[in-house]
Amino acid sequence: MNLLFPLSPLLVTGFGALLLMLTEAFGTPRVRAAAGEEVVDAGAGRSGELALGAAVVLLAGAVLSVAVWLAGPAASPELKLLEPWLVFDGVALFMSFVLCLGGAFTALLAGGYLPEHQIDRGEFFPLLILATLGAQVLSASGDLLMLFVGLETMSLAVYAMIGLRRGSARAVEAALKYFLLGSFAAALMLFGGALLYGATGHTDLRGIGQAVASIGQPESTVNAGLVLLGLTLNLVGLAFKVSAVPFHMWTPDAYEGAPTPTTTFMAVAVKTAAFAILMRLLLTSFGDERAMSWGAGWPPVLALLAIVTMTVANLIAGRQESVKRMLAYSSIAHAGYVLIGLVATMRSPIEGQASVMVYLLTYTVSTAGAFGALILCGSRGAEAVSYDDLAGIGRRHPAAALVFTLFLLSLAGMPPTAGFFGKLYIFRAAIDSELYWLTVLGLLNSLVAAYYYLRVIVSMYFREPAPGAPVATPMRSGLVTGALVLAAFLVLAIGLAPATPLAMALGSLTGG
Amino acid sequence: MSLLGNVLEHYVMLAGLIFAIGAVGFLIRRNVLVQLMCIELMLNAVNLALVGYNRVHVGDMTGHLFAFFVIAVAAAELAVGLAIVIAFYRLKSSVQSDEADALRH
Repeated sequence: MNLLFPLSPLLVTGFGALLLMLTEAFGTPRVRAAAGEEVVDAGAGRSGELALGAAVVLLAGAVLSVAVWLAGPAASPELKLLEPWLVFDGVALFMSFVLCLGGAFTALLAGGYLPEHQIDRGEFFPLLILATLGAQVLSASGDLLMLFVGLETMSLAVYAMIGLRRGSARAVEAALKYFLLGSFAAALMLFGGALLYGATGHTDLRGIGQAVASIGQPESTVNAGLVLLGLTLNLVGLAFKVSAVPFHMWTPDAYEGAPTPTTTFMAVAVKTAAFAILMRLLLTSFGDERAMSWGAGWPPVLALLAIVTMTVANLIAGRQESVKRMLAYSSIAHAGYVLIGLVATMRSPIEGQASVMVYLLTYTVSTAGAFGALILCGSRGAEAVSYDDLAGIGRRHPAAALVFTLFLLSLAGMPPTAGFFGKLYIFRAAIDSELYWLTVLGLLNSLVAAYYYLRVIVSMYFREPAPGAPVATPMRSGLVTGALVLAAFLVLAIGLAPATPLAMALGSLTGG
Repeated sequence: MSLLGNVLEHYVMLAGLIFAIGAVGFLIRRNVLVQLMCIELMLNAVNLALVGYNRVHVGDMTGHLFAFFVIAVAAAELAVGLAIVIAFYRLKSSVQSDEADALRH
């Protein structure tokens, strides 16, 4: 029985986290204690090396995901032993790649950010890898129980990562808000899961799907009301996690108060994993003809959610004074575009799913890059957060401004960047599904969004800081630079060769 | 069977009621500790529903098993939550969530 290779993406992150935890705990702190104080954290002052270790572990996870994907999950029949709990299929491997990539970006960014802003604590990195492991499990789970365990593994680590800066009222407040709403959402999902179990007798998604498909047949004993309530509660819980309007209230606060690398992870990996499991849940358990129909199923609900999410988020994002908060609203808006792709699965399941997968990949590299560029533009005591902070960066530090511009253009969806093709595939899938008005609304929203992305670029290149105002100086960190170079490379590479990720996504779905 | 059916209905209704009390309490109370207790109430309602439903879905113990996982994870969740509440209390000398207003715009 050879499960080691096909499961290696999970094993590497799992054991990597434990190894890093030991390395952190038994090392010697590199900072000198102030008089009368004691350095209690053995990882203090060692962010650089720990970040490098975490990045290596997570990149190894990403590479192994691709390796297993290339070998083909079908080549490892042992994986069937894990079903229905863990469905490690092509989609899960693709998502695992995206999640590990997002985690690796976060590790590199944190390696520069934490020491620069004097929150040089080593436990961030084991937590980060554990959160990524939770996200991988969540996106691959084929059973409500695994879903719950994966979700909580991811969320608990993220709560701690937000509250890392214990002395800051903003960070603790962000952690508190996210914790309260996150556990409330988890409780809603759990009750929804209990109702689904009660109605169908199954906790595995496929079993639920078979029972749901039997609704309406004369011999069916499934209580349709309970199923509907269970689905609703699960949708609400996951809408919290992907921060769809009107369940987004926590997002701007949590994103703004958290240390920026944690914000990156929340925007990138948490959202990707939540969308992955949302897609799996809807298509596996509620993928029968009736549940996917416009008249009696979930697509109109998601379509409404998509419209509200895009529109509200884009309108509010334009009014923000803080770039970090603007990026938070932008990530909410992007959740709206992904929801369009999910709705498109109702008539063209393969193209719809592939567009969502590609979009999540392009969104991950662009968002991680944008937050990374924001981190790069700040330094100790002068974290760049507002438009004013960024004024004149383009003249003083052209390289930093150039990469920031690239990521913003990608988020706005300009060719030839990755973001353009992400949006293109989503809208194409929507048109294939005859969702014309949804496509039009999505396009209009993209135009509105371009306004606030361009505003950052205008700030950087065409404005000078007000006399006497604090001037942001970019920090120097090889790790942050490395992350930005990698993200910029991927943004351009996907933008210039968009067929490759699309072919990979399609191949994951068709098994080819 | 009809007797069991009725009993099950009662259990599920009780679970729903406890869940609703927890959810409403979470939404209207402003004391973070009370909110945490309300979340616990909701999770315990889930356990009750799971165990109750296991009576009709005989053959395996999925419901019971699920309830154990919920208990274990809820404990871990509360540990992180209380740590955050303590950090919050140290900064604000209060456990009212209204005090969390630094990030409102």
